[in-house]
Amino acid sequence: MQTVIHVALSGHATAFQLDEDGYVSLRRYFERARAGLARDPDREEILRDLEQSIGEKLAVLPHAGGRVIAGHEVDSVLGQVGTVDPGSDNGQARRPPPMRPWRFCRIEQDKWIGGVCTGLAARSGVRVDWVRTIFILATVFTGGMMALVYLALVFALPVFRTRDDYEDMCRLSP
Amino acid sequence: MDAGKSGALRKGLLEFVVLAVVSSGRAYAADILQRLGDTEFATSEGTLYPLLSRMRRERLLDYEWQESASGPPRKYYRLTPNGRRQLAAFRTYWKSLTRLIDELGTPPCKP
Repeated sequence: MQTVIHVALSGHATAFQLDEDGYVSLRRYFERARAGLARDPDREEILRDLEQSIGEKLAVLPHAGGRVIAGHEVDSVLGQVGTVDPGSDNGQARRPPPMRPWRFCRIEQDKWIGGVCTGLAARSGVRVDWVRTIFILATVFTGGMMALVYLALVFALPVFRTRDDYEDMCRLSP
Repeated sequence: MDAGKSGALRKGLLEFVVLAVVSSGRAYAADILQRLGDTEFATSEGTLYPLLSRMRRERLLDYEWQESASGPPRKYYRLTPNGRRQLAAFRTYWKSLTRLIDELGTPPCKP
């Protein structure tokens, strides 16, 4: 008994008949190609191009029409088409997007409570003493509302260990 | 030459080689592969398709569909004006590089 799997390939009107090994090879090839091109914006189009090319090579195998194509024949065609090489993008778009510039953060180094003031000071260039004074005055004048804002900021802002870490991150980001 | 080093060099040049092949007229992927087939730059669909699609995104080349007598319609690639400029710039750069490398190899003239 032989398992025959009918496979439709992009652009080809008639389905190809593959044996089980051939089908497994083909499926693996496309799984790998899909993974390799994960970050390529034109992935689907490239996969269709590959399907079409593979189909063209399968179609010209001797007596390809109406017979079952064996696993080793599929492997040899896949060998000709070659492993998908995602290539480089001149170091631009293909890389994971650089971390967004950190506008506001908390900094643990020299913190009093949650590092919100040290973070604001690093961000703004204002001395941390002044930032703290403003925060304390604002807390007094708003009847404690500013303390809630502070608490919210502790939860909302990303934290850095030192001011240098924060500045490194800023330099690395565009 | 060390195969690894020359491989990296060829890989980097492939884009310009493809520009040069396509510059001679409209080309289908199989034409490009065949043209490169017996050169140093022989490659396969797995490498060429992702490259062509990136070059199209960078507006170096463009394609149009065309019916084919045997099988599905094909994409025929051709250079955009931008691609043409890029190729011309590359050729100039390449010439200056080879000249430089030659000059670096010869001792400077003594006065």
